[in-house]
Amino acid sequence: MNAPLRRARIDLDAYRSNLDLVRGWMEPVEVMAIMKADAYGHGLEPIALAAVDAGVRWIGVLTVPAALRLRSIGIGEDVHLFTWQHDPALDFRDAIDSAIDLGVSNAAELQRIVDAVDQRPARVHLGVDSGLHRDGATVDAWPELVSLAVDAQRAGRIEVVAAYTHLAESSDDDDSAAVAAFDRAVEVAEDLGLDLPMEHVAASLAGLERKEFRKDMVRMGANLFGMPGADGVSAADLGLEPVMTLTASVAKTKRVPVDTGVSYDYTYRTAAETTLALVPVGYADGVPRAAQGRIEVTIGGKRYPIAGRVAMDQFLVDVGDDEVRVGDTVVLFGTGEHGEMTVLEWGAALGTIGEEVTCRIGARVPREVVGHEVGGRVGDYLREQP
Amino acid sequence: MSAFTGITVDREALIANYVTVSERVSPAGVIAVVKANAYGHGAVHAARAFVDAGAEWLGVADVDEGIALRRAGIDEGVRILAWLHAPDEDFRRAAQYGITPAVSSVSQLAAAADSEVPEVHVCVDTGLSRNGAVESEWAELFATAGRIARSGGRTRVEGLMSHLSNASRADDLDQDAALQRARDGLAANGIVPEIVHLAASAASIALPETRHDAARVGLALYGLSPLPDRSAADLGLRPAMRVTAAVLRTVPVAAGEGVSYGYTWRAETDTRLAVIGLGYADGFDRGLGDRVSVRIGDRRFPVVGRVAMNAMHVDIGDADVSVGDEAVLWGDPADGDPAVEEWATAIDTINYEVVARIGRSVERRTT
Repeated sequence: MNAPLRRARIDLDAYRSNLDLVRGWMEPVEVMAIMKADAYGHGLEPIALAAVDAGVRWIGVLTVPAALRLRSIGIGEDVHLFTWQHDPALDFRDAIDSAIDLGVSNAAELQRIVDAVDQRPARVHLGVDSGLHRDGATVDAWPELVSLAVDAQRAGRIEVVAAYTHLAESSDDDDSAAVAAFDRAVEVAEDLGLDLPMEHVAASLAGLERKEFRKDMVRMGANLFGMPGADGVSAADLGLEPVMTLTASVAKTKRVPVDTGVSYDYTYRTAAETTLALVPVGYADGVPRAAQGRIEVTIGGKRYPIAGRVAMDQFLVDVGDDEVRVGDTVVLFGTGEHGEMTVLEWGAALGTIGEEVTCRIGARVPREVVGHEVGGRVGDYLREQP
Repeated sequence: MSAFTGITVDREALIANYVTVSERVSPAGVIAVVKANAYGHGAVHAARAFVDAGAEWLGVADVDEGIALRRAGIDEGVRILAWLHAPDEDFRRAAQYGITPAVSSVSQLAAAADSEVPEVHVCVDTGLSRNGAVESEWAELFATAGRIARSGGRTRVEGLMSHLSNASRADDLDQDAALQRARDGLAANGIVPEIVHLAASAASIALPETRHDAARVGLALYGLSPLPDRSAADLGLRPAMRVTAAVLRTVPVAAGEGVSYGYTWRAETDTRLAVIGLGYADGFDRGLGDRVSVRIGDRRFPVVGRVAMNAMHVDIGDADVSVGDEAVLWGDPADGDPAVEEWATAIDTINYEVVARIGRSVERRTT
């Protein structure tokens, strides 16, 4: 069909362009492309294949099951897949067999990994909790974790690849304190006889703004999807391109008189005789119910506010006397080049960040991948999908 | 044994709710609404439970959702109604898969007839201004329906539907009166629909006169109350969704230390945090920190700090909580679990949105 109800267009050219730009900025530091949460809602497999085709050799995916999905579509062991959040019930054997890189937060977790080793040693990144308090070992627990790692490495059970931490990005001072804590932890590890081939601490925001935090590798997520994190900085300011464009087709138009109540609870009433256009995307699809009064969509390049409550499957816009027809394309967010809001503007309008918006675009919205015609593995992968 | 991280949907609760709702609205029937992945509960599982409980009708938003149910084995003995259509929907797939379209315009009605869909429902706008033909379009739409009926083609108008705004009792009754005008308009063209349906969950309880031949019930079947002043238990319903997460880690923090991105929360005293592996990508708002609590064991503990993409923090103080323990985000308050409405109130929305937005990445299991 030419006019699907809803669609998220995923532009791999934009992703590749962002990747080139970011790698140029970070040169000579390695970039790990972060693709947790199904590539921030963009769809993991096409993004990962595009990144690998572009030469990326480090990918971060949060969990072992996600990493195994990538191995299963032919992403080989020349690409390191970093995971760092593990279910307490996870059996690490498949991860170790598939050479998945495992972030480890404490001695008990490392012991479970060591116990799961059969033939090949497990690839391990030791996590330091430098203040975010999410993963990694606290300063107090760090020596125990390191000592176990030293022993396990000597026994050939693990290969320690790196030490890492996550920054809280609360303030420059807090992040400096966190990196100082990380550096002390690295010294402690060295004093305990552990050689750490790599260190990685910075993600998208700190990687751009705090050059001294780049260490051996920077973990880049949001920037690669065209969603820079600094306040007041647009993607265009940095030369980044938003990767996801969310569109829908006008499913119905209707002419209604003045003072017509619109949608649940009649929170919007028409100010004059007007045309309402029905947009078949709702809060089940990731357009928050709170979007009324905050979000504008474009039809034919012109902005229209959401009229009335967003419902589960749909909302309405008041298009006045404009010529809007069933089947016309509604752009909810995109690159901004045609007058539409960007996902960063959505985040700001909704009191959150772009990542929350893209991650929550729901399963009912098909991802249409464009920019795979250049050849390489993405096109092959997409052709094999039903 | 480590706790399950994800959603558990209680099949027995779905069945019990269907029975409760059926008895309440009887002699009207029930169209069990399973759109939007059954409000986040898993469409196929929910549809099977309702069918096993006796459902003869399922409601979905679009034809694709209906096809997914057919492909999962919901056989054509069970009717499926869909009312939100793509602009160029030609209804051939609807005919092929036995999906009954509700049509909102002359062009949709004509397309359905051309595709030889056996039955259609006519959808009219009685005030919500959403789907449905507006009153000024009725004459032409009903005349077209009359012509199609007289033409001896395969397609017949089986039903008439509209949707209430829940703005007020008076507004809803105005809509009911408008629906009667639509009924009269169809009758003037020789069509008497067998199934007239207007009320959804809220009105099916609060405004019995709007039940007509069937109520389209979604939320109440999942065991949640559609009414702000009545709890699920008040209505004899059992919440079917339980969201749990395993504690991934416990970590001590000292007084004054910040937690999670932006350090939006700082510990007032020395305490401990539990990290659980659900975050905003999974459907739990980034801004929920400091506004909700989870149950671990028999106690409640507050969620603190920014909710991250795939994790959130819980302040557990000196409680006996360890890795692998179960944190309950919400479930059935009758079992002591937090109510989903607590999460809805915390972010100024309704229970519908909280359950419907649970992400596709979250594991769902059924009992």
